[in-house]
Amino acid sequence: MSSPSNNAEVTAVDTAGRWPLLLLLASGLSWLVISGVLALVASIQLHSPTFLTDCAWFTHGRVSAMAETSFVYGWAANAGLGLGLWILGRLGGSPLRALNWSVVGALFWNAGLTLGLIGIATGDATSFSLLQLPRYVQPLMVAAYAAIGVSGILAWNGRRTDGTHAAQWYAVAALFLFPWLLIAAQSMLLWSPVRGVLQAVTAGWYVQGVFTLWLAPLALAAAYYVVPKTTGRVYPSYEFAPLAFWTLIFVGAFTGGRHLIGGPVPAWIPTLANAACSLLLFHYLVVVLNLRSVFSAAGVAARFISVGLIAYFVSGSLDFITSFRGVALVTQFTYFAQAQQQLAVYGGISLLLFGAIYFAVPRLTGRAWASGAFVQGHMVLVLLGVALLVGSLGLAGWIQGHALNDAKVPFSAIAASTRPWLLAVTAAHGILLLANLLLLVNFARSVYSVCCSCSQAGELAFRQPSTMEAPTS
Amino acid sequence: MIKNGFFFFVGLLVAFVIGWGGIALGSHKQLGALAPYFDDGEGSSFPTRPQGVAARGQLVYADLGCASCHTQQVRRPDFGSDKDRGWGERQSVARDYIHQGRPQLGSLRVGPDLTNLAGRKPSAPDAEDLLKLLYTGSALHPSYRFLFDDRKIVGQRSESALRLLGSLAPAPGHEVVPTERAQTLVAYLLSLNTSYEFPEARPVAPAVAAKEGAHK
Repeated sequence: MSSPSNNAEVTAVDTAGRWPLLLLLASGLSWLVISGVLALVASIQLHSPTFLTDCAWFTHGRVSAMAETSFVYGWAANAGLGLGLWILGRLGGSPLRALNWSVVGALFWNAGLTLGLIGIATGDATSFSLLQLPRYVQPLMVAAYAAIGVSGILAWNGRRTDGTHAAQWYAVAALFLFPWLLIAAQSMLLWSPVRGVLQAVTAGWYVQGVFTLWLAPLALAAAYYVVPKTTGRVYPSYEFAPLAFWTLIFVGAFTGGRHLIGGPVPAWIPTLANAACSLLLFHYLVVVLNLRSVFSAAGVAARFISVGLIAYFVSGSLDFITSFRGVALVTQFTYFAQAQQQLAVYGGISLLLFGAIYFAVPRLTGRAWASGAFVQGHMVLVLLGVALLVGSLGLAGWIQGHALNDAKVPFSAIAASTRPWLLAVTAAHGILLLANLLLLVNFARSVYSVCCSCSQAGELAFRQPSTMEAPTS
Repeated sequence: MIKNGFFFFVGLLVAFVIGWGGIALGSHKQLGALAPYFDDGEGSSFPTRPQGVAARGQLVYADLGCASCHTQQVRRPDFGSDKDRGWGERQSVARDYIHQGRPQLGSLRVGPDLTNLAGRKPSAPDAEDLLKLLYTGSALHPSYRFLFDDRKIVGQRSESALRLLGSLAPAPGHEVVPTERAQTLVAYLLSLNTSYEFPEARPVAPAVAAKEGAHK
């Protein structure tokens, strides 16, 4: 496998795409902080249900819908797309084209998301998990997404290299498949809703698709691109990578039915999900095998990607384990399922994206991060916050699940026994919010320094890669 | 397959269509035409269509996001404690939901399941219980005061005013009246009753615990 020209660490691709890509990353980081505030409010309400309840906008159901929506469609989408386009441009070998489309798309995507969140706050949520944005902004989101994706698809079609790279497959798959997924889910759930429980089945398929056909490929594209760059080594066992890719794309969506175990749906749906979860273990295993050299590499990007990879693998294994009826009997309908979701989207997806952001931003701005201390602070706090969040949600869920299965335990006793862990969840959300504020401030300062010294901004100078890395401890 | 751009996109599309067709269309083919069940003993069909006020109440339930803490799906008696908690004598089946515009199955049980709220035995809550809980909240449940009007009594006291005592009582000369949204929400909650029988939902004997064909 070949990696692109390494002569100059800041290439023409980077300078051409600087502002559009930084716009996407800036939007993503801003939404991350906003969703952090919302998640904090929602987590306080779980142990103190009267918190902020006098205002209809901050009802728990609405706040948690807004937190989840701004996290996925605000943070993960913007950051993942920005990194995906950058990677496709770099691996395609020429500056990104049609970036004005991406800028317009990003503006409309974020405007639509803002409008949609206000809609959720005022009571227009659709009540489907991860598809909460009101009907009236949904078509806008599809169009805006397509506009953002144009330059990525052009970069793929106009690539100058013969071979292709795993990062390209994942990025193109995410760009290409998500609009189909969103349109299919919209038509079957919002425009011409299917009957009864079929809505739950379709919604489950969509939620899983958001993860396996969109967010995971975006994050894996970032990881597959950055890891050999930071380690300077080729992937081991690379011959399995295509099979791992197609396993995720073909099998991934079938695992969505695991949330419907024992529910009012045909039994083949959760059973098929169980089988699909076991097949998908192959994908998780190969990804870790391919990228394992990152575990011994130094640098902030490598650390984030190492932990993100472990979280990604563990979340896949937990999906498999909890898709068995005997385990689901305890974990279903509890905070444990939420812990799994946070492990996947915060531990897996977000940490991989953070790693790639720490790698990409210095190359886009042409200079190192403004503050090394902030980088260190962000890393320590995020890793602590994610561990605390997933750990305490998981424990709360395990306690809750056993208590729920004993009909003699009243809900007041369940609330009392999970309360310490829910307080820890609130603390974790506080830590994560602080961490992400550090990242946002550091990002803003780094970008600001480029704006204010335009004399150097356009230069294509060779820089030692080591000068771009944030110092590690 | 990956090197050739065209086949790469075809592969992606095929993968997508297989997943979509397998799950969304496959289940639609199986259940899309599910009809109500005519019970000879009762002389009527179940489930019954919800009244208009209850259907509007479901929209309030959805827009407040009640499903983020309450499920509406009872699991079968030997799978979890749903029956022992009095949430329902039988498991929920697909047929229960065919008349619902937007079924609220839910995925988290911070609070109790509500599938059969109005059919619970021995005692189901009545409208006054529910309105009071919505107004005052509790240590376990948020209050939703924005669903009520605290207003001056003009002329006669409203018939629907809440009877509140002690520290919760409104100021003298005032009354707390549920808004239309509160009333439709409560009408919806009181319409949640699945205490009828379906052949596919009869408790299975442990010897034939398998659920295959349960939905035919």
